[in-house]
Amino acid sequence: METFEVFRRSGHKEPFEHCGTVSAPDAEMALLEAKECFTRRREGQHLWVVKRSDIHSFKDESLLEIAADKSYRFAEAYRDVVTKRSQARSRGRALPEKARSST
Amino acid sequence: MSDSLAALLTALADDELIIGHRHSEWTGFAPHIEEDVAFSSIAQDEIGHAAAYYTRLSQLGHASDADRLALGKDTVDYRNAIICERPNGDWSYTLARHWLYDAADSVRLEALESSADHELAALATKMRREERYHLLHADTWMKRVAAGPVEGRTLLITSLGSAFAESAGLFEPIVEEEAAIEAGWLPAPSHELRARFLARTAESLEDWGLPAEVHAGLDRSAEFVASSSGDLIAGRDRPGKDSPVASHGALGGRRGHHSEDFKSLWDDMTSTYRSNPGAAW
Repeated sequence: METFEVFRRSGHKEPFEHCGTVSAPDAEMALLEAKECFTRRREGQHLWVVKRSDIHSFKDESLLEIAADKSYRFAEAYRDVVTKRSQARSRGRALPEKARSST
Repeated sequence: MSDSLAALLTALADDELIIGHRHSEWTGFAPHIEEDVAFSSIAQDEIGHAAAYYTRLSQLGHASDADRLALGKDTVDYRNAIICERPNGDWSYTLARHWLYDAADSVRLEALESSADHELAALATKMRREERYHLLHADTWMKRVAAGPVEGRTLLITSLGSAFAESAGLFEPIVEEEAAIEAGWLPAPSHELRARFLARTAESLEDWGLPAEVHAGLDRSAEFVASSSGDLIAGRDRPGKDSPVASHGALGGRRGHHSEDFKSLWDDMTSTYRSNPGAAW
């Protein structure tokens, strides 16, 4: 017996989503089982089964952890950008005429 | 109201109810959890089909509701084929019977789609959608087990022998069959349906590399001869002596003659109904 991961989607515009696992000797049987286990109540009209052994993942998943400060990758890092900009503008207006034209 | 239409609907409904009941006995015990869900679901479908036939029957003026037609009658009033009432045995027998039953049912439903009773024809169309899946389920299992390993394959071949012999009962003529054909309720006679069933199953056996000899029991059981009372009975319907069906014939179910196995099924199946007949559940 093999383990198959089951994905289903509820409509053409929806993404396939993982919904569970079945044990079966082959993909054909896995599909039958998945139909019964995961689409009994009209949860989806499309089903995929994928052998778990055909799914690849990192051996060391700690690689996926972000080690250093990467706050610049997040939108919230830019939350005060408006404040910073207006502060910069008013600093600019405070400068003497000559300094302003040379910048 | 037509007696021959009622007779046809009773045979169809009783087949579905009894096979559905047997299938449901696997709930909680099937080979693995996913199959448990799948097989239980098929059992529910069959009982749903039975309910639809009984409902049609109740509309014909038989003054009974579907529950009563299904559960409020004595063993001799059931017209199911004997193969439906046989105990499940092991998974190999259950599978062989499931495959043969659904192959037979699909042949039968195809024919019934052109029944002169439009309600029945519409039901047949609707049921075929589910039966297509039942047959796919059975075919997938058969193909897989037939491919080995050898232990499962051997068990399956033995079980197919006995199940084939008894599948003759599914094509035993119903009472009033001639009238049912005359009126167009049953668009093709049972022997013709049986020939289609044989051709189709033979083709699958060949595809899966299963020995054609498993047919042999059916050929033996299907020799109808006239008994002293003028009824058609089985000629020599005695499969091998080690087979679970050795002590009973395959035929008789359509006339209410059932095997010993039926009594305990009936006791179990109708006990709740009998405890309070007519109650609404």
